[in-house]
Amino acid sequence: MKVKFRLNGETRIDEIEPNQTLCDYLHDAAGTTSVKKGCDTGECGACTVLLDDMPVTSCLVLAPQIDGREVVTAEGLGSKSSPHPVQREFVAQDAVQCGYCIPGMIVTLSWIYEHVPGASDAEIKRLMSGNLCRCTGYLPQVEALKAATKGT
Amino acid sequence: MRSFQYLAPIPAFDYVAPKTLSELFETLEGHGRELQVMAGGTDLTIALKERTTTPQIVVDLGWLRKELGGIAVEGGILRIGALATFSQMEVSPFVARYANALRQAAANVGTLQIRSIATLGGNLATASPAADSAPPLIALGATATFLSRSGKRTVPVQGVFKGPKRNGLRFGEIISSVEIPANDEVCSAWTRAAVRNENVLSTVSVAVASTVADRRFGPSRVALGAVAPTPILAEKASAAMTGSAATSEQAERVAALAAEDAKPISDIRASAHYRRHLVSVLTRRLILQMLSESVAP
Repeated sequence: MKVKFRLNGETRIDEIEPNQTLCDYLHDAAGTTSVKKGCDTGECGACTVLLDDMPVTSCLVLAPQIDGREVVTAEGLGSKSSPHPVQREFVAQDAVQCGYCIPGMIVTLSWIYEHVPGASDAEIKRLMSGNLCRCTGYLPQVEALKAATKGT
Repeated sequence: MRSFQYLAPIPAFDYVAPKTLSELFETLEGHGRELQVMAGGTDLTIALKERTTTPQIVVDLGWLRKELGGIAVEGGILRIGALATFSQMEVSPFVARYANALRQAAANVGTLQIRSIATLGGNLATASPAADSAPPLIALGATATFLSRSGKRTVPVQGVFKGPKRNGLRFGEIISSVEIPANDEVCSAWTRAAVRNENVLSTVSVAVASTVADRRFGPSRVALGAVAPTPILAEKASAAMTGSAATSEQAERVAALAAEDAKPISDIRASAHYRRHLVSVLTRRLILQMLSESVAP
């Protein structure tokens, strides 16, 4: 079927098979390889993208559901030359180790940055509980978000 | 444990996304089990991958968010559209004012990413015994509206559930909304026990709704999740609480009766014995909390 949607600010029309997840479509067909498949059951958050400005696990969304909607992946948040404040602070605070969870983590934290700027530590932890990281222990990532919020 | 056999593609199906309600009912007409309606899709996508559902047709309600979504108060009724997401309920001032228990449950379901797309109607239609939205709605005396081409019918929320993963919808029917009496006198609260704080199914959940005036409880309901084949109204506990003295002794008594009302099983999350114990602990905790808030200045 044909879908028309916006991906990282650009309108895209694509012929897609309905029996695939948004995660697989974005990673394998649309070229946005920041979208990682981890658990494929909505537990780990590595595939998190913004759908109409809400973070969603794209492995729990069928690709045709994006018809008429807006999708933003980590690629759409910032670039190497002009990173999103959360991306910038992830580097500055050394909040990255193996990297697999990072694009999804950045998407979630960028949403918290935009929509819950005064979030307490407890609230940040609650809101990022859908992004699992086996390397960092989360604290550098919480610190990166707080530094980003402070820095702007 | 989840198996990874579904690394193979999901079996093909026809995907239909009606743009109007009449188009929707036309699509549903004449179909039975081979057709699966999808709201947010958080349960369905997993069922498709696990092959526990193998529909020939998936009908996505996503384009009907205007007709089947929204949260509003009108004529003394808080109406929540079936496509309202858990995130929307979490931040709605109407839900906070009239259905505190539902707000608490909504904020605890899944994760931010799941609450962003999972819907109230989907949570009810999936009919899990552990559906977290159900105990608050049952405690608050909510009804669900079933809509079909031939019209509407209204059922109490506990009537939506017929058994584990079995709902009371007929072919051609969808849940269109949930209605909750908008009453400022009613205070309600929800809590649960689970193996961790976030992103986990409830081992036991409890909701209580009541009024407290002149040191007595008014009409009261205690509702339980994950301790029976469906979410249930704890009938003995609710009857004992209604009209009784608002005291901590009475909280003990109601909690003990709620544990009798529960019909738990042992499974991967807890034993039946422990679940029954949790029912009494959580029920007592909610009622004591209600008492301390009602005497606060």
